[in-house]
Amino acid sequence: MKKRLFFLSVMTAVVGMALVCAPVYAVDTVKIGVVGPRTGDAAATGKAFEEGIQLATAYVNAKGGILGKPLEIVFEDTAGAPDKAASGFERLVTRDKVAMVLGESHSSSALAEIEVANRLKVPFVVVEAWADPITAKNYRYVFRAGPSNSGVVKDTIAKWVVHEGFKKAYIVAENTDWGLGIAEISEAALKAAGVSYASLVTERKSQDHYMELAKIKEFDPDVVLAFIYGTGLHYFVAQAGEVGLTPKAVVLDGAGPPSLWPDFWTNVGDYGNLECFVSSMHKQVELTPLATQYREAYVKAFGQAPTDYKSRSIYDAILIAADAVNRAGATDAEKVVDALESTALLVTRGTARFGTEKGGPEYHQWMPPMLVIQWQNKEQVVLYPPEGATGKLKR
Amino acid sequence: MLALSITNGLVIGIIYALTALGVSLVVGIMNVINFAHGEFYILAGYFSYLFAHTMGLDPVVAMVLSIAAVFLIGIVVEYTLIRPTYGDDLYSLILTFILSIVMQSTFLLVFGPFPNKPPNWVKGATNVFGLFLYGNQRLAALIAGAAVIALFFAMLKLTWFGRMIRATSQDREMAELNGINTRRLNMLSFGMGCALAAAAGVILSPVFPVTPSAGVPVALTAFVCVVLGGMGSMWGCVAGGLVLGLVENLGAAFVSTGYKHVFMYLILILVLLIRPSGLFGRSET
Amino acid sequence: MDMRMTKNRWLLAAGLVAFALLPWGLGVYHQHIMIVSLFYVMMAASWNLLAGYTGQVSFGHAAFAGIGAYASGILAAKAGVNPWVGVAAGTLLAAIFGFLVGILCLKLGGIYLSLTTLGFSEILHIIINNEYEITRGTMGLQVPGLLSEYSKLAYFYIFLAGALLTLGVVYRLIHSDLGLNFRAVQNDERAAASLGVDVVKVRVLAFTVSSALAGMAGALYGHYLLLITPQIPSLDQQFLVLSMTVIGGMGSFVGPVIGAFGLEILSEYIRAYGEYHVLAFGLVALAVARFAPRGMVGIFRSVWERRRQAAVHPSLPAESP
Repeated sequence: MKKRLFFLSVMTAVVGMALVCAPVYAVDTVKIGVVGPRTGDAAATGKAFEEGIQLATAYVNAKGGILGKPLEIVFEDTAGAPDKAASGFERLVTRDKVAMVLGESHSSSALAEIEVANRLKVPFVVVEAWADPITAKNYRYVFRAGPSNSGVVKDTIAKWVVHEGFKKAYIVAENTDWGLGIAEISEAALKAAGVSYASLVTERKSQDHYMELAKIKEFDPDVVLAFIYGTGLHYFVAQAGEVGLTPKAVVLDGAGPPSLWPDFWTNVGDYGNLECFVSSMHKQVELTPLATQYREAYVKAFGQAPTDYKSRSIYDAILIAADAVNRAGATDAEKVVDALESTALLVTRGTARFGTEKGGPEYHQWMPPMLVIQWQNKEQVVLYPPEGATGKLKR
Repeated sequence: MLALSITNGLVIGIIYALTALGVSLVVGIMNVINFAHGEFYILAGYFSYLFAHTMGLDPVVAMVLSIAAVFLIGIVVEYTLIRPTYGDDLYSLILTFILSIVMQSTFLLVFGPFPNKPPNWVKGATNVFGLFLYGNQRLAALIAGAAVIALFFAMLKLTWFGRMIRATSQDREMAELNGINTRRLNMLSFGMGCALAAAAGVILSPVFPVTPSAGVPVALTAFVCVVLGGMGSMWGCVAGGLVLGLVENLGAAFVSTGYKHVFMYLILILVLLIRPSGLFGRSET
Repeated sequence: MDMRMTKNRWLLAAGLVAFALLPWGLGVYHQHIMIVSLFYVMMAASWNLLAGYTGQVSFGHAAFAGIGAYASGILAAKAGVNPWVGVAAGTLLAAIFGFLVGILCLKLGGIYLSLTTLGFSEILHIIINNEYEITRGTMGLQVPGLLSEYSKLAYFYIFLAGALLTLGVVYRLIHSDLGLNFRAVQNDERAAASLGVDVVKVRVLAFTVSSALAGMAGALYGHYLLLITPQIPSLDQQFLVLSMTVIGGMGSFVGPVIGAFGLEILSEYIRAYGEYHVLAFGLVALAVARFAPRGMVGIFRSVWERRRQAAVHPSLPAESP
């Protein structure tokens, strides 16, 4: 009886495997994988990616597709967890046989995925995962068409702090790789710029920031650099208003999208006014004709203007990928990597070019320009860089 | 800093106590740990959001309706899932653990990953004793939480139903001999346990908006409160909640913000080591 | 009867050989699914030893896997220790922690164990997140593999060996005198105590062995994924292990095996539906736990018994094997 059951279970496994192996229906397309969180705390990013994918697929296929075949995107959920991300990445390559993989918005997940990309020798273009080591590891198959922590801090955040003449800054970091990494870089940059600062670490999932805020208030900073991703930022902003830290001090959301999520205003109420955030998109600052075209296509497809800039980031990445495979003339990984290295493509955020000098995070990275934007009476006002500014900082 | 951490500790502690009371009630009467307790808290937050925000009802009406709805759902859950598990406390633990995951994924499907926040009752912040600014909504939550706890104890003390609860949690067999219909009492107390979670949920959700998975820490804290106060002891549970709230906030203020939530588990282990029956529990043989 | 036993034994051996040869005919993707399934066989079978045979529900089983994984991973990645030594160390450490948690709360009884293991798992989580320099927090710790050359096929056999070892330990335990004590403890604590069974000792032993097996499973899994994240010791993982055991059949030897393979393969199928996937699992687990507490094995067994009764000995009562 026992034996029989064991036999049964072995058979279940065998039959089950046979079922999984059922033949995959083949359509003649060029497949490209996308990884991103469709579930979990940052599922909003997955949604933004889906929108970008829809628009980019339509755009690429309208222009003749890739190598004369239609482009097909396979979107794999990572749930924002590195282990799921790594196995999802591998699944894209081994099951779906994609030519290359794009995407990701969690540094933790991306750092797991680049190891798989390197092992399986599959070109991987990271889109919105900012941790420096992603490109600083100098893997041949790993590219990043998007911001890096050091890029955002050095080119935008630190310069903005100096530009506004802030004397004292407070850095609040969530305890993740992105948070702790960007906090460390910010500390170094502020030190170099002669701005006095202090910093603390907070729990990513914490809802109550009163004690942290009390500590910050004692320091009496001009600006608070908040590196908290997700709804934690909403709680932080609302509570900063309650304890009277703002509006005396300005809070900068160092990640961006949480300040643009649909529930931001319900969660923060009036305390959201005068909050600043980092973004790569603003309706009046369109650097290329493609950006305008993108916005129009978005409005046509979804009935409203784009909010989360990450939909446009993945759009750019898909265009870059399509261009590279077309120039490579094949989906062969080595040729695609070579083609990516010689990319010079006008996308929505400017001309994409990947660094080729080894040694630092600039290798295989294209750093698109970022903006600092302030909410002023629920209107987005660009503060930095000065050439794109649409208004002045209000306090 | 000290004054703020004490005030914040009291506010958070009252809410912990309120949430834990529901667990304590169910443990006392039925010897069942409801693992999905935190999810009932979240469910009430969502209801309150739906009624007040989407349907535009008055926040107070919305809150009362939400608590009533969760009470009814609690009764249905008891009837369909918990009833066959009496006498096997581990079976009910497994069932409610699975139920909590089912509820979480249902929330995610229906409401999405974003937090949902019912409207505030009051706006702004008050300068407390001239020492620090404190959000008005939190002060309101403190008052409302304390009021619900007071009401619950009055009910226990003064009403016939309350006497039945006390009798049963002291000696179930005796209560049955005296003609108490424990079956119906179980159903009502489980519903009431859920309603207490719901009360905490509607009071706190304007301060801490609800998300699908936010119930887990709520339930964990409630369990620690119950063990700390002594299984089944109502007063112990309130004391446990306040102790936890204070320890957590003083710890965050003076020891480490990153390890804020570890303090309560350390307390749990200490209690188990030194006095397993809890602060106010009857020590058993 | 003898004929049937030998026939069954032959069938079992043939099934095992077929299973062991299966990955040769599969692509890497399907090999991966089998390896993960075997990991869950180890987890579910060792959890079942505790929950199914001694009636103790631990919510820290995933946490013990995490201890094994992190101990082994940190030793290998930071101190350059051979991963195999790391796996042994991880298993040992999980056993020690299991022993400590066991003596802390097993004399208090069921609910205390469940709550303490839950607290234990939370503490572990917070420590992993905060001790970022050592554990690499949510980013995950990158660790070397068990073999110098990465090969799915080799990992498959390592995990197969691990699963057979786990099943072997569980089988030996439940078919020893101790196993009888386990059952006695589960059925009636007081009666068991009066028969001279040291209830606490039996439970602590079961808990320690079960934790050690989870530690081993976790350590192996970490060196397979090459990345150890707080996901390994998470409540989600705990839920999966619990569901697999409950759906397969708690308290039955093969239940967890069926559950682990069934759910892992099913989950690969319904992955595409994203968020529905956890809900579907949960609903199935809830229905099974409520209406068929003995799981798939229980359903199969009752159908089989009935059929056998009707066909072979229509007049005789069922004989239990």
